[in-house]
Amino acid sequence: MTTVIPFGPQHPVLPEPVQLKLELDNDVVVGALPSLGYVHRGLEKFIDTKDYNQTLYICERICGICSAIHSITYARGVEQLMNVEIPERAEYLRVIWSELARVQSHLLWLGLFADGFGFESLFMECWKYREAVMDIMEMTTGNRVITSMCKVGGTTKDLSKEHIDIILKAIDNLEPQVENLEKVFVNNYTVKKRLVGLGVLSKQLAYDVGAVGPTLRGSGVHSDIRESPSWSIYKDLNFKAVIENDGDCYARTKVRIYELYECFKLIRNAISKLPAGEISIPVKGSPAAGAEAISRAEQPRGEVVYYVKGNGTKNLERLKIRTPTFANIPALLQMLPGIKLADVPVVVLTVDPCISCTER
Amino acid sequence: MLENNVEIKSSSELLKIVQELKNDGYRYATMICLKANDGHELIYVLDKNYVLKTLRYFVKPSEKPKSMSGIYLCALLIENEYQDLFGLTFEGLAIDFKGHLYLTPNSPKTPLA
Repeated sequence: MTTVIPFGPQHPVLPEPVQLKLELDNDVVVGALPSLGYVHRGLEKFIDTKDYNQTLYICERICGICSAIHSITYARGVEQLMNVEIPERAEYLRVIWSELARVQSHLLWLGLFADGFGFESLFMECWKYREAVMDIMEMTTGNRVITSMCKVGGTTKDLSKEHIDIILKAIDNLEPQVENLEKVFVNNYTVKKRLVGLGVLSKQLAYDVGAVGPTLRGSGVHSDIRESPSWSIYKDLNFKAVIENDGDCYARTKVRIYELYECFKLIRNAISKLPAGEISIPVKGSPAAGAEAISRAEQPRGEVVYYVKGNGTKNLERLKIRTPTFANIPALLQMLPGIKLADVPVVVLTVDPCISCTER
Repeated sequence: MLENNVEIKSSSELLKIVQELKNDGYRYATMICLKANDGHELIYVLDKNYVLKTLRYFVKPSEKPKSMSGIYLCALLIENEYQDLFGLTFEGLAIDFKGHLYLTPNSPKTPLA
């Protein structure tokens, strides 16, 4: 006989409300059903009243943690619609801020994850290191979270020589700190005991259920939108996707740890190649009626998909956003059966759930 | 116009093509729903090696489109979303929230319809 118990919507490991109805046989999960709708804000409807420039500021408020890449992906979609080619310097600036955002997001997740499996001092350590990146965001854009550094046609902010020196110094300090974190997350006996072999998602299943990001790459699937032809700038920056093969909680953790080093490399390379010139071009007119575009980017949690359609006015006919956590929920439902109730929080956290993104 | 776009005429043809694409290694990225005349337009977005393929299908008024959740389980969330927001009814949904994935009984009905 099985019992159904609710996991959430309020739970110590969940920063945002979502509920899983867990079907249990004794303390082993045999089934899970998601229950959403606690933070649905109707943003795709809300933009009916906003023009395409204002919509960018709605998009970056979908989520606090990945707001920078939301605005960049949206801007790229509208730029495609309107055949706008942005200045090269703006492309590089967008990469620098995107990768800084990924660093703070992964450090935030590592902290929450450590707290989730009961390692509170490690949580504080991760968040202490994250502050350095938040300070850079504040210094370079004026805000820690909603940075508004992107606009249709380029960026709103530039990096001065002084900013660049501070960023490079901060990364030089941060890298050995991340090496210290890696020693604990990757090598510590207790942490490994908690994560290895838990919540396994096979390579084939991860692909079939549409998983994205570290959830997909942790199962051995080589997929990172930064490698796609539409993001050729990453190829110039010598980007290499991080892949782990075991498909368990430990593998997904290692992907995020190793991605931090990749971020540092990308930021350094982007700064070393940062071209001089304008940071934006003026964009006039409106997206043509019937014009449509799909724009994708790699968020910290995985691939985000934006669809934009114009109607000949300043307002868009349709904006559709498929966020990474939305794609990872079916994968999560596949990871849970067979594990113990006590392990559910750890497994849920390894998809780095962002519910504000999911429900928009 | 989107690249690699294919217009699909019937729901049986749609199911057949989606199954073929899955067998060919395509991943389900998402589905987009648009209002079109009196009905709706569904754009299925599939990905293989970073190249997208889009299948466009017109849903006539009062038609119940077939669910893709039997082929791609992950389709169930987006199909449930469109049941909430556009008032569509997908036949054969693996898990059917019956218009209440996001919306409560007191919420505005089908806000994007």
